[in-house]
Amino acid sequence: MLAAVARQPSDLQRLQARTGYLFIFPSFALYVIFVLAPVVVTCILSFTYFDPMAGSRWVGLDNYVRFFTDDRSQQIFWNTLRFTAFAVTGNICVGMLFALALDREMPGPLLYFFRLAFFLPVIIAAAFVSIVWGYFYGDDLGVINYYLIHLGLSPIHWLTSSRYAMMSIVIMDVWKNAGFFMIIFIAALQGVPKTLVEAAVMDGAGYWRRFFRIVLPWISPVVFFAIVYASIGALQVFESIVILTQGGPGDATRSMSIYIVEEAFDSFEIGYAASVAVIMTVVILAITVLQFLASRAWVRH
Amino acid sequence: MPTRTSQRWIDWAIIAVMALIAFFMLLPFAWLFSMSFRTVRDAYQMPPSFVPPRLDFDNYRAVLNSSIPFLQIYANSVEVAVLVTVGQLITCTLAAFAFARLNFAGRDTLFFVMLAGLLFPAQVTIIPIYLGYGRIGLLNRPIGLALMYLTSAFGVFLVRQFMRSQPKALEEAALMDGASYLKIFFRISLPQLRPALASLGIITFTQTWNYYFQARVLLEPQDAMTLPIAMDVLRGYLGSGNLALVMAAMSMSVLPVILLFLLAQKMVIEGIAMTGIKT
Repeated sequence: MLAAVARQPSDLQRLQARTGYLFIFPSFALYVIFVLAPVVVTCILSFTYFDPMAGSRWVGLDNYVRFFTDDRSQQIFWNTLRFTAFAVTGNICVGMLFALALDREMPGPLLYFFRLAFFLPVIIAAAFVSIVWGYFYGDDLGVINYYLIHLGLSPIHWLTSSRYAMMSIVIMDVWKNAGFFMIIFIAALQGVPKTLVEAAVMDGAGYWRRFFRIVLPWISPVVFFAIVYASIGALQVFESIVILTQGGPGDATRSMSIYIVEEAFDSFEIGYAASVAVIMTVVILAITVLQFLASRAWVRH
Repeated sequence: MPTRTSQRWIDWAIIAVMALIAFFMLLPFAWLFSMSFRTVRDAYQMPPSFVPPRLDFDNYRAVLNSSIPFLQIYANSVEVAVLVTVGQLITCTLAAFAFARLNFAGRDTLFFVMLAGLLFPAQVTIIPIYLGYGRIGLLNRPIGLALMYLTSAFGVFLVRQFMRSQPKALEEAALMDGASYLKIFFRISLPQLRPALASLGIITFTQTWNYYFQARVLLEPQDAMTLPIAMDVLRGYLGSGNLALVMAAMSMSVLPVILLFLLAQKMVIEGIAMTGIKT
């Protein structure tokens, strides 16, 4: 009798375990095939000179040495980090400003319209909006320059000068993605306890003081998540640059993603491209770890 | 301390500024749709249009009749987006149920390993996938792109978070009554998950519709392309003077995503907010 009762939960546990493994199997198998295994293979490839005809050979750290000693890849590396720094800062700040502006009493339809307007660029492919912005940024037939000239200002070489090209791409990126962070921040702002803010109002703290002293610390875990998320996205920047400038002028806007594709599939330098991809992943991992360490030091709940 | 009236005044000032910003945010879309209705001859006329100058679908017909297999490309995009969406709804829900509701050895480790997958960009997986696809004949076939994305760590995470916020009393009661896990999953959990599944479905469809990097590497011939990479070809191929045609093609390409968003704005936004907050 007792034994039967004791066996009951263990049967259940076994059944639970079997069901559990069965249910995660499709996801996990696909994940191993399309993520884990390719990551491992890319790491291995990055130490080789890949040549399927004559046979590949092991070259040790040569590809990495080449990346860190080559002027061109250095420029591309810093381009990518520079783009990431500007785009992340822009997206987080503008997204937060939008969220603060919409986190207040206003008529329902108005709020609906604002959320729609700011979020619409988020859901449209970067490839599509880049083509539109390409015409906006044009030198002679560009929409923006047309109006600049009409206002008596001098036209700007948005995409064809190495001084402005990267900034132009960042501006478009912020236009496209700030709405995403706005949505995340609005949700976070609504979670800030009203009593906390009201107490600060009683103490006579002004709006920005309340924001930096109470609201921002409260939502800081969400802000850290947003920074990590934005960085991971920005480091992979590809189509907006491919479509707007093709990496130019010169290499002024070439990003690591573009470099990987060119090296791997145009020059068929598979091993070298793999090493660039590994470096990019390491940067992503490093930024993620750094930001989580920073958030652990900062965020106190 | 601001008085009531000055507070009101600030509120309206902010609304006015936001309205102005919203206007500029929407301008590129107004331009896109309006230019698609210009005659090919006037395409580059200044000033640009932000309101359709006429309602005539000549340019749309011209895109369909052009030498680029636009309908085939459109069908490819639909095929990939539908396969991936359906696939993810199945695989992610199953895995999320296991991670949220079942106890088994290594569960949390496996979940963590899957989540870590979010940190690996497509750039670090694409080369082996390209080489592998070349060997097994999946290169230049839209289905190859779809296969890569039949599951996602993001989807598993989203559904699991939602499931954990739901009471499990009903599921436990059914278990006591001797129902199998399969039955509990289909009869009790799935119906409860409807809002999360709607969010995931819409987000996945949109994301897949917009893939560029992966598609560009894996799908080279025109009749294997998806819309985002085809737009670039269309722009270069049709050359200058046909801006109106490019915009007609773009209008048709963004339509499903915009419709989906207008119909289900709330779900998209809630889905994103949900995964954003609860990390």
